[in-house]
Amino acid sequence: MRLRRTKLYLPGNNPNMLLRGHLFNPDGVILDLEDAVAMSEKDAARILVRDVLKRGDFGDCEVTVRINGMDTEYWKADIETVVPCGIDGIRIPKVEDPKDIALMDEALSHIESNARIPVGRTLIFCLLETALGVWRAFDIARASKRVAAICPGGEDLRADLKTTRSENSEELIGPRRMIALAAHAAGVDALDTVYADITDDAGLRRETEWVKQLGFQGKSVIHPNQIPVVHEVFTPTAKEIEQAKKIVEAAAEAAARGLGAVQVDGRMVDKPVVKRAEYTLQRAGLKAGGEKA
Amino acid sequence: MTINAAGRNVPDTIPGYGEVRHFKGHDRRPPEGCRFGKKNRAAFNTRRDKTLPDLKAAISASGLKSGMTVSFHHHLRDGDYVVNAVIDACAEMGIRDLVIFPTALFKVHKHLTKHIQNGVIRQIMGSVNGPIGQLASEGGFSVPVVLRSHGGRPRAVTSGDVVIDVAFIAAPTADNYGNLTGAVGRSACGSLGYAHSDAHYAQCVVAVTDNLVNYPAPCIQIPQFFVDFVVPVDKIGDPAGIVSGTTRVTRDPMRLLIARNAAKLIEATPYFKDGISFQTGAGGISLAVAAYVREAMRERGIKGSFGLGGITEFFVDMMKEGLFERLLDVQSFDLAAVKSIAENTNHVEISADWYANPWNAGCAVNMLDTVVLGATEVDRDFNVNVNTEADGAMLHGIGGHQDTAAGAQLTIITTPLLRGRIPCAVDSVYTVSTPGEVVDAVVTEFGVALNPRRQDLIDAAREAGDVPLVTMDELVEKAQELTGPMTPVETEDRIIGVVEYRDGTVIDVVKQLKKK
Amino acid sequence: MKTAQAGTLESMDCIVTVTETEKGRGISIVMEGASVVRFGEAMLKATKDTLKGLGVRDMAVSIQDNGAGDLVLKARVEAAVRRFTGVRTP
Repeated sequence: MRLRRTKLYLPGNNPNMLLRGHLFNPDGVILDLEDAVAMSEKDAARILVRDVLKRGDFGDCEVTVRINGMDTEYWKADIETVVPCGIDGIRIPKVEDPKDIALMDEALSHIESNARIPVGRTLIFCLLETALGVWRAFDIARASKRVAAICPGGEDLRADLKTTRSENSEELIGPRRMIALAAHAAGVDALDTVYADITDDAGLRRETEWVKQLGFQGKSVIHPNQIPVVHEVFTPTAKEIEQAKKIVEAAAEAAARGLGAVQVDGRMVDKPVVKRAEYTLQRAGLKAGGEKA
Repeated sequence: MTINAAGRNVPDTIPGYGEVRHFKGHDRRPPEGCRFGKKNRAAFNTRRDKTLPDLKAAISASGLKSGMTVSFHHHLRDGDYVVNAVIDACAEMGIRDLVIFPTALFKVHKHLTKHIQNGVIRQIMGSVNGPIGQLASEGGFSVPVVLRSHGGRPRAVTSGDVVIDVAFIAAPTADNYGNLTGAVGRSACGSLGYAHSDAHYAQCVVAVTDNLVNYPAPCIQIPQFFVDFVVPVDKIGDPAGIVSGTTRVTRDPMRLLIARNAAKLIEATPYFKDGISFQTGAGGISLAVAAYVREAMRERGIKGSFGLGGITEFFVDMMKEGLFERLLDVQSFDLAAVKSIAENTNHVEISADWYANPWNAGCAVNMLDTVVLGATEVDRDFNVNVNTEADGAMLHGIGGHQDTAAGAQLTIITTPLLRGRIPCAVDSVYTVSTPGEVVDAVVTEFGVALNPRRQDLIDAAREAGDVPLVTMDELVEKAQELTGPMTPVETEDRIIGVVEYRDGTVIDVVKQLKKK
Repeated sequence: MKTAQAGTLESMDCIVTVTETEKGRGISIVMEGASVVRFGEAMLKATKDTLKGLGVRDMAVSIQDNGAGDLVLKARVEAAVRRFTGVRTP
């Protein structure tokens, strides 16, 4: 199970960040060919990103590329260039139509088989940055087996809702709730959008705690300094870890004894609870079973 | 030619320097002789005013002649006016072939270039940077530059290896009988730590001040009985260049990453307990380490004993918060440190002799638990270069590097693995400033390398579990993989720089660069 | 004179400028930056190899370096050449 607590955006035309971003230990990196790159630099960025991907040194990070939108002239060249490098996934901006995801799935399969990459390896992360996109979140999430997560937009979504940014992002509460619901209904991750003020750690923490409570699995970040804050929020407390350890150990014991039912503190504990406990330990950086990863 | 204990090939004599005492190990040279004597002088109440009208009068009165050695301290840093003014005056008076013995030079001293080219200055013993460093590297001096550490310099002075004919001491405040202080005045610089040995041992001591006060001066740091003359001038320096406003902790993510790794190491060791003492630099990664360590001290309720070295507002605040009992200050970097040294008896001025001289009954660095230092290069044997850059130019002094590294229980070097394309981890450093035997850890963004000599630290770091351990070989190879092969620096045979170790032996030499 | 450029002077990057030169003149490369002293040879080789791979025989190249490794240098040379020839997507 892939931890996706943080995904660090690496501007596609910035060698420094492309080559060293993974050193900050985010769970994933997003090499950005879209908003971080000016129109006049799309070509140069694509070449640079291609070569950095070929080099393939990203530590343990999940490697994804944010391609340009399917409404632009760039996306085809983007996927043709980066997918053969063997990346973990692409992130598609402004997704509105499940049909586009189906289309992308086919295009990816084509490229993968030509490049001798296992078909289906390249996952899809969908950015839902318009009202329509958010409304169709569930269908979009189900449009392909490749879809690993759906993510709300920030500024673009506000613009589409014809509203402004308020102090506590009131206007994005609804969309986030819908996406969390749709994601879990469809069986994919819900990953939140970036927090733009890189000097406001307290604000970042508040927002992260709130989206975690809603059911999000992680958050994109635009600056390495934001990583420890987000990780801390998504890291279970000592108490939660203790409890999770108990449950997982009880489940292991029951399995070893060939017993179907698992008991903890005198109460029955069913499968989803055991799974959640395992997930808790993974988020704590401990493998299931309590040993350090 | 001898290969010394740092693995460097050093000749047995060097033209312009003399007989070489070879480096045999950080604590291998036994002390010799006694403390050097300053000629006696007598003073009676017939003369109750040591002031002279200007620098030229003082230079005349001091008996300074061509070929002699003059010394300066660097407490006025890049705001200093005194060095340039004194040498200008000497030039106008026809004095030539001087040996300049500053504790360090700054960008503002590039003014001296013309005096070097005209023969007013024959040699510099002390750090050379910027254009002067480049000039030296290209062979612009007829004799080598001699580099000494903050502790090695007072050792040389107190043992008579270097005899100072005239010491010019810039004094932010002075009275007319020669009591000096840096703690008050418009050009206040706080501690005058580097000036003490000069005051005690120079044949003649001239104080230069822009704040002449009634006798006796307040907060006396250098007492009257060492000082021969006092010259009041308009300005001894520019306050903006002397002290910085506030030194903020960096927010640069790469620097913070490295700093966090270093802090994790410190917290993993047995030194991280009540009574801890440490020293960090004034900015950059080093200060960020202090910030993380402070956080951990607050969390775990640990109280330190003392902070040492160059003191900034950060350390002053830590003392006010109760995280240090005392500050031992050899150099005050900012306004807050200057204010604190004047007002707080727990903020103590120490001389360079007290701070770092290995030839006394025990200097301050010996009681230091941990120090965080920088480097231009480190190598597979943990040797450190702080003197030369990748192009072979000699552009930095040693500072307190050798001393704190030798004295501290835990010596940590923090450095990015690469600066641009230039690697900081190499097979063999271009110049050895500090030997690997006293370096315990090298911390980079790619991980923490511990010296195999310190199995205790390796065990402690493994135990803690959150220190990203790598080997030094891995760091060097990672750097090579990222940069590709380097072509070697092309040099002449002539030696233009002598790097002394703090005990007066020669640890390495710097060769003249080949003309392009 | 036809010319094209790619890259920036940000840390670990370089600006590569390629300018038209007479047929048969071959490749000329001028470089500046802190890395040139120790990595000049490697930079020349990386540039020449990339030009060869793109089928470029005659070109005047100028590199302003701010610590770019071979990977970045080659990517910037390729981008500059492609801009020069007007063929944008690789």
